[in-house]
Amino acid sequence: MSWITIVWSMNAAACLTLAAIYLLVWCKQRQDPAHLLFSVTAVAAAAIAAFELEMMHAETVGQYEALMRWIHVPVWVLVISFVSFVRLYLHAGRRWLAWSICGLRTLVLILNFVFTPNLNFRHITSLRHFSWGGGEIISVPVGVANPWGLLSSVSLLLLLIFFVDATITVWRRGDQRRALVVGGSMIFGAILAWHVPLVIWGIIDIPLFLCFAYSGIVAAMAYELSYDLLHAAQLSRRLQESEVDLRETQERMELAASAAKLGMWMWDIARNEIWLADKGRALFGFAPSEKLDLDRFRSAVHPEDRELVFQAVQNSLRTGAEYEAEYRVLLPDGQLRWIAGRGRVEFNSNGQPARMRGASVDITKRKQAEELAARQRNEMAHLSRVTMLGELSGSIAHELNLPLSAILCNAQAAQRILANGKVDHTELREILNEVISEDKRACEVIRRLRLWLKKGEVQQHSLRINNVVQDVLRLLRSDLIHQKVIVDCELARNLPGIIGDPVQLQQVLVNLVVNACDAITNRTIPERRLLIRTGIQNRNGSSAVTVSVTDRGGSIPEEKMEQIFEPFFTTKPKGMGLGLSVCRTIIAAHRGKLWATNNADCGATFHFSLPIAAPDKGAPIIDTNHLTNMQCCSHGAVRHRGGVAPNGVKAPRGSGYDVTKD
Amino acid sequence: MTALTPTVFIVDDYAPVRRSISRLLHAAGFAVAAFASADEFLAQFDPQIMGCLVLDVAMPALDGLELQHILAEAGSLLPIIFLTGTSDIPKSVQAMKHGASDFLTKPVNDEDLLAAVHAAIEKNRALRHEQAQLSEIQARLATLTPREREVLEYVVAGKLNKQIAGNLGTVEQTVKVHRAHVMEKMRVQSVAELVRLTQRCGINGR
Repeated sequence: MSWITIVWSMNAAACLTLAAIYLLVWCKQRQDPAHLLFSVTAVAAAAIAAFELEMMHAETVGQYEALMRWIHVPVWVLVISFVSFVRLYLHAGRRWLAWSICGLRTLVLILNFVFTPNLNFRHITSLRHFSWGGGEIISVPVGVANPWGLLSSVSLLLLLIFFVDATITVWRRGDQRRALVVGGSMIFGAILAWHVPLVIWGIIDIPLFLCFAYSGIVAAMAYELSYDLLHAAQLSRRLQESEVDLRETQERMELAASAAKLGMWMWDIARNEIWLADKGRALFGFAPSEKLDLDRFRSAVHPEDRELVFQAVQNSLRTGAEYEAEYRVLLPDGQLRWIAGRGRVEFNSNGQPARMRGASVDITKRKQAEELAARQRNEMAHLSRVTMLGELSGSIAHELNLPLSAILCNAQAAQRILANGKVDHTELREILNEVISEDKRACEVIRRLRLWLKKGEVQQHSLRINNVVQDVLRLLRSDLIHQKVIVDCELARNLPGIIGDPVQLQQVLVNLVVNACDAITNRTIPERRLLIRTGIQNRNGSSAVTVSVTDRGGSIPEEKMEQIFEPFFTTKPKGMGLGLSVCRTIIAAHRGKLWATNNADCGATFHFSLPIAAPDKGAPIIDTNHLTNMQCCSHGAVRHRGGVAPNGVKAPRGSGYDVTKD
Repeated sequence: MTALTPTVFIVDDYAPVRRSISRLLHAAGFAVAAFASADEFLAQFDPQIMGCLVLDVAMPALDGLELQHILAEAGSLLPIIFLTGTSDIPKSVQAMKHGASDFLTKPVNDEDLLAAVHAAIEKNRALRHEQAQLSEIQARLATLTPREREVLEYVVAGKLNKQIAGNLGTVEQTVKVHRAHVMEKMRVQSVAELVRLTQRCGINGR
């Protein structure tokens, strides 16, 4: 046995081994036909090697002819496999070329069995035996070539063109490695295969070694497929790693959720089922095994907060916005717990809300701290209010004295009229009417005073800012007259309502007006004017009602613009320096802003803005004083410059509020 | 409303108080005129009318004290009763210093107010009487010739006719004639009476 036998056998064995491996792979993974195709290719390559070896050892012309006839079968299989592999696996090569090659090769196979002895030879005259490459004696045919054999050569040429074209496509696609390995080996193999016609035509004198040309391609294909297998293995390892990561993240999440006392939940909207983690069940006081749906959840929420929570849910379902709500939960033992819920809606492919996912957290402690802070803030505000009332006591006494004075004089006048004997009923009626109206006025002063002195919960009313301005001007009327300060008002009409505590907002405005009066106390009388404006401001898409108090006193140094709002900062000899800082906390508690600016010419302006109330919620708006009923506070000291439309454009004269005398 | 009927003027910016005081004073038998502001009052102020002024201290624009000042400048004799809602001591002191008739705190009792009004009107009456007498004396003084006036001044200083004649560089007989004219024109019987009259006018002897 010489090297020729060994090499050809090894070639066949290698091909068969690969075929066996990939057949096994295909069995495990049937969805990928590439492996089966390769397996068939490798078997065909092995068969060609076997045929070639037998042909070299052929003793007679008959034997050789038969072998040469039958070798066309594995060659046909191989060519078809190559073309399929290029088309299916590399996704390259022209379709018409592929079909032409397959058709032509099939024609070659048929013709091969039509002609005798085969397609390549018209007849083989003899076999030439010689020793090749130092190996054993081999046989080479000698005879007349069959002109139909050219068809085989044409198919080989087409195959070469097909390979070149496919390689270029793959290369251009950016897959240079695959183009080099698979495409290169295929082109090389197809060129090498050209020795067959040359041997048949008697141009060269060597044994056929087609199996090598083709097994090279098979090796390249095997390399390519193994590369994919390796890649898949890598992916699977990474997948495993990421699964581990995922599990770890999940565990971390659970740990964090448990540490933060987060109750994770999911609401399947179609089935109306709520899944809630055990932590969450404990938050709401649900039993661990209890079946939860929306109604059960609703029953746990405090009755006063149900509306709010369900509006938030509805809003989220409608707009897809994040769900956010803070509400109280009534626990089975009667305790109250504050919960903050957040969640997100997930929509199905039809755009319908499918489920909501989110988390709930216990915010009772935070709420308690907030309540404490609010209470302290209110106490502070109350203290400041009481102090301010002390300062205004003279003015308030005056406000009370006026109606009392009118009542007393009227009553004594009535006594005298009765004593005189000449009773004028009309006059007595007028007197009594005035006594009643003045008594009411005094009661109003006292009522307002009591509100101011009252220490209680912050009220959340819907109110009109213009009413707050008027109330404040009534309260300060005497003080303004006393200080000879004229207040000009530009109150915008039809302002939207706001939500807030009327007394606290009055307090802020009183502070600002009193400060402004102090700022102009040294000015000459014509300069003792204040301007109070109300209006509406649109910023970043949200609207706010604004109030500004402008004085013509000194300006505030730029570096003190913020400092003035700090506690205990004061420029007044007797001031505590709490007024503006309390004002700022009050306005901040109303979700508004308080700031100061210097006027272009002289003096400063203090502004505050308050978010407008949503039109669909809140208590009915307190609108006891319509703008047109602006009598009590005018009294000559307050002048209304006519109504201003909310956008700040002044209304034509006469349409607003004239100075009214009483 | 004649110059002789006493009228109570009321100036208060707060209508119910203004009206009730008017009613009270009207019921007590006074003629009343009420005004909502100092400017309104000044616009129709007649110094000839007798009476008094009930004035609110704190008012927008012109306040009570400023009105008092304006009236004093104009030489008004109208006594002023101030009404105030607050017991503002500096203001009351200032008002009284400038000759206020009274300073009352709201709510004011009717008797206090009426007493103050009566007193003020009496004061006004006395002032007017005094003023009338002074005018009379002034009128008589105005009829004297310059020489007679000189003689008068020497007479009230207690000078003898001889001394006067010496000072004037004339004879005693001429002085006697002037002196008789003075006594006649001033409608007095005695030198003592003449001295009393001239002192009221602030004329002192030479």
